[in-house]
Amino acid sequence: MAIEGADLVKAAAFLGAGLSMGLGAIGPGVGEGMAAAKACEAIGRNPKEAGLLTRTMLVGQAVSESTGIYSLVIALLLLFVV
Amino acid sequence: MNELGKIHQLIIPFLGHNLTFNLEAIAMTWIVCGLLIIFGLLATYKKARIPGSWQILGELFVTQFFSLAEDALDKEMAKKYGPLICALFMFLVLSNWLGILPHLEEPTRDLNTPLSLGIMGFVIAHYVAIKTKGLKAYIKEYFEPIFFMMPLNLIGELAKIVSISFRLFGNIMGGSIIILVVSYLTYNILLPPFLNAFFGLFVGAIQAFVFTMLTLVYISVQVK
Amino acid sequence: MPFDVQTWIGIAAYTGGGLAMGLGAIGAAIGEGYTAAEANYALSRAPQSAGDIFKTMLVGQAIAESASIFALVVAMLLLFTDFSSGSLVTVFAVMAAGLSMGFGAIGSGVGSGFPAAAACTGMARQPAMGARLTTNMLVGSAVCQTPSIFALVTSFILIFTDFSAEPFNPAGAAVMGAGLAAGLAAIGSGIGGGAVAQASCEGIARNPGSQKQVVNVMLLGQAITQTPAILGLLVSFILIFKQFEATDAIAPGMALFASGLCMGIGAIGPGIGEGIASSGGVRWIAKNPSIAGELTRTMLVGMAVAESTAIYSMVIALVLIFVV
Repeated sequence: MAIEGADLVKAAAFLGAGLSMGLGAIGPGVGEGMAAAKACEAIGRNPKEAGLLTRTMLVGQAVSESTGIYSLVIALLLLFVV
Repeated sequence: MNELGKIHQLIIPFLGHNLTFNLEAIAMTWIVCGLLIIFGLLATYKKARIPGSWQILGELFVTQFFSLAEDALDKEMAKKYGPLICALFMFLVLSNWLGILPHLEEPTRDLNTPLSLGIMGFVIAHYVAIKTKGLKAYIKEYFEPIFFMMPLNLIGELAKIVSISFRLFGNIMGGSIIILVVSYLTYNILLPPFLNAFFGLFVGAIQAFVFTMLTLVYISVQVK
Repeated sequence: MPFDVQTWIGIAAYTGGGLAMGLGAIGAAIGEGYTAAEANYALSRAPQSAGDIFKTMLVGQAIAESASIFALVVAMLLLFTDFSSGSLVTVFAVMAAGLSMGFGAIGSGVGSGFPAAAACTGMARQPAMGARLTTNMLVGSAVCQTPSIFALVTSFILIFTDFSAEPFNPAGAAVMGAGLAAGLAAIGSGIGGGAVAQASCEGIARNPGSQKQVVNVMLLGQAITQTPAILGLLVSFILIFKQFEATDAIAPGMALFASGLCMGIGAIGPGIGEGIASSGGVRWIAKNPSIAGELTRTMLVGMAVAESTAIYSMVIALVLIFVV
């Protein structure tokens, strides 16, 4: 099989995109789940503050999402730009 | 072993495309509908104060699922959508259990059945959402909490249909494949009744309940 | 290639069979060991309920075993099926089938150990609730096995589909990606589903009156936790059944393999995270059943956000299949 250099590079780009998004999805998934669990606990202890607690949970999850978004950006760059 | 992939199909060419009918799934669905109609007639034709056994069974289903619906929705919507939930559960539980009878197979084994029930639930949920909240508020919800989350919210909604249908399909199809293959490998000695009891009755009932609960939750989430 | 197709198929089938059983043994062993550990601890606290706790431990371990029994079935099939009509693509397909079931059994095996452990501990705390705890454990463990059932379905399809009409490149890479997508995606959802069932058994033991709500929310939480595994199943179905054109370059094949890898690995984290979120919700509904509605809504919102990275992975996977 005569493999061209450019072809190999493209293949590597695809592999990199897949790995980037794949591995990058692990962390935010676990972290946001833990945030939601503790939010449920907090509301369980103090139901009156439900609004504040839900808002805090969402903000915390959004910050935790940021590395997932970086992975998404790199994956898209590898697919379409490089 | 070769029986695994065989489906009897009826293909009718229509306006340039082929309409494919999976005969087994259709016939089994008719059998389930027929059985449900007979059950409905048996449970309601006497309406005695001291109920006979069919009526007790019917009342059991109705009270359980109406109370579930009332927990999730408010009273008036629960009255409207309660019958849907009841019917969905009874149809699914009977469909999943049909595979235990010899020569019959579950209609939910074919991807078309769970997928159409999932799409039906999705359409109902969004119809309810538009009716109670109005078109503007409904569309605005897709843009929360941040503006560019819109495509993700949209994909998330579609992913709900996929997840609910594939879960039912995967469980039922997987169960029937396991029963078939393990019975084949062990020469039909000893194991098949236990496998059928676990995968057919137990998993079938649980998955029917999960599908029904999820449809109810999707409707109630749209209403709140 | 100096060997003919039959030799390669034999190599791949036996390697795949070995991997299926080897990987598949990990999860169930860990889960059952955890159950035994907690059961022992429970026995030390309540020796008078020894008979019940022992029975519950054995039943729970039996259900945790079922994931590795699926792996055993797949391994036997790979060792003894006659593949004489296979093509080059079948080489990759049987290897992928072994990997799919092998990885898929890890999560459910570990996950099913959690509710069994919680049921034993709960029985030590509240011997009167023995029957209800056992039922709840059975239901939770059975639903927790679902991701490994998905991996099993993918393995069967990979073993029994006739791939001779497909071109080797890229269909070979596609089926490998399919096996990895279904198998890896089942890990996270299996562990997550087990965490939810564990919280529900614990909750029922602490507060028997909340059983109805706890069971409902447990089933709901487990069902949503399985969504990443279902997305993996969907991507693997697309990879198996889509017709691809023959090509000489390796980039298209690598794209399909990467898409399976992306969906598979990407589903692990969200599966575990959603399970943790749902277990928190269930645990606190048990402690405070009156606000069950509020807690359920918060739990669902939190789980939906945690699922978002799984959806990103699915989008990238689909882009790799259809756009690139």
